[in-house]
Amino acid sequence: MMTCTQIREQLPALLDDRLATAATRDLRAHLAACPDCERELATLSETLRALDAMPAPSPTPRLRARVYAAIAAEQHALRSAPTPVTAALRPSRPFWFRLIQPFAAAALLALGFLLGQRQVPSPTAPSLPAAAPVVTPDPATQRELAELRQKMDSMSQLVGYSILQQQSRSSNERLRGVLTSATIAEPDNKTINDLIGALALDPSTNVRLNALEALYAHADLDVVRAGVLTSLPREQSPLVQISMIDFLAAARDREAVPTLQKLSNNNQADLNVRAAAKRALGQL
Amino acid sequence: MFTVAPEIPVDSRPFADNTVTDDFVAPVDSNAPLSDHALMLAVRDGRLDALGELFERHHGPLFGFLVKFTGHRAAAEDIAQIVFERMLKYRHTYRDDGSFTAWMYHLARRCAADHFRKANAAPYATDPGDLHHHADEGPDAGQTATTGDDHALLHTALGRLDHSEREVLLLSRFQELSFAEIAGILECSVGAAKVRAHRALHSLRTVYLRLQKEPLS
Repeated sequence: MMTCTQIREQLPALLDDRLATAATRDLRAHLAACPDCERELATLSETLRALDAMPAPSPTPRLRARVYAAIAAEQHALRSAPTPVTAALRPSRPFWFRLIQPFAAAALLALGFLLGQRQVPSPTAPSLPAAAPVVTPDPATQRELAELRQKMDSMSQLVGYSILQQQSRSSNERLRGVLTSATIAEPDNKTINDLIGALALDPSTNVRLNALEALYAHADLDVVRAGVLTSLPREQSPLVQISMIDFLAAARDREAVPTLQKLSNNNQADLNVRAAAKRALGQL
Repeated sequence: MFTVAPEIPVDSRPFADNTVTDDFVAPVDSNAPLSDHALMLAVRDGRLDALGELFERHHGPLFGFLVKFTGHRAAAEDIAQIVFERMLKYRHTYRDDGSFTAWMYHLARRCAADHFRKANAAPYATDPGDLHHHADEGPDAGQTATTGDDHALLHTALGRLDHSEREVLLLSRFQELSFAEIAGILECSVGAAKVRAHRALHSLRTVYLRLQKEPLS
């Protein structure tokens, strides 16, 4: 048998729809027989009624204005700065894509090699003196050969990047690598190639963004602009895409126009990306 | 209930509750409104516009809670703003199994605590003159059964409650939260949350009745 004190402790439960329990019946039975407890319930009920009837004031329009301004500012920061990126923003490149990437690069490399060989005049070409067993190619051909070798070098570095860096280093280590590259005042070809490789192939959005940031200093180099332009259509993250578009616009790269036009007309693309592409086209 | 991730300020600890009421259900009809939870997940994934919709849905009740909790409109407005800013800042900590409303009040409670600390103001009785001013502002003031004086008395009574009593009473009465969610917000057991809410109601009733007998001069 509960005392009046115990009953009164439980009275608020009677006034709460969420708390209808088996004990409710016992409480009500007690109340029917105990005027003091019933009065107690009445005052609690009156207090709650008054509480519920308290007017709910509205905030001034300033609150809405400030909150929307905060949202806009955060959106701007998200677009323009390589801030820490969430797991959710990580691009979802399919697994097969990453698997075939090195092989695709190797295939391109082989193709380039074959094409290069074709352009070198054959030693048995009829126009050449039969007496010369080994031919020294003319200066133009030599230059082309040198360029091809350079391209091969960078391709092999890209392959090396994708195999070694993607698999064996944590994203933090790769990020540190990219940041270190960014601080080199006069980077060599390898550093620049590493940065382009990171931009094109690194699975972490954060690493790619930082690579792009580091490449800003070398936007005057054709190879850098070409690297960014080639990476753009493959890029999955709108955040990085927009940064790439901004890069190409800032670099005044006219060659980007067809890619940007395609992007701005692509219904599947992210709306912000399309807007950025349109904006960049205006600047170019 | 909480797991504290390293480097995350205590204010932003993710709120989780197994009794969530606004679980994300993939909309069948694309025109159907998204749940609060789905919107907050979108915000977390970088679609920050979705926070605008959450603001429209929740700023009213949140502001009402904060006005009653702090007793000051200007403070309530500042705190409400900070709550939404923290949602943006700590969006990454919102959990897949979270309840948006509970998370919002979790943040609100922390922000209010910061406010009280900064203002060096323990819970205080509000200036009665200010209360009369509030009481008549409601759109339906005068049409409700209670008079402006009753509102003022109740406001004063609320102000005289212990900080934690006022908090649990307001959370349990106005915010359509389950006691499991309230327990999560207050970081106590469900049983303790109920007991605290009931004791707070008893306290409020006692102060309210006393004030009714000694009306404001």
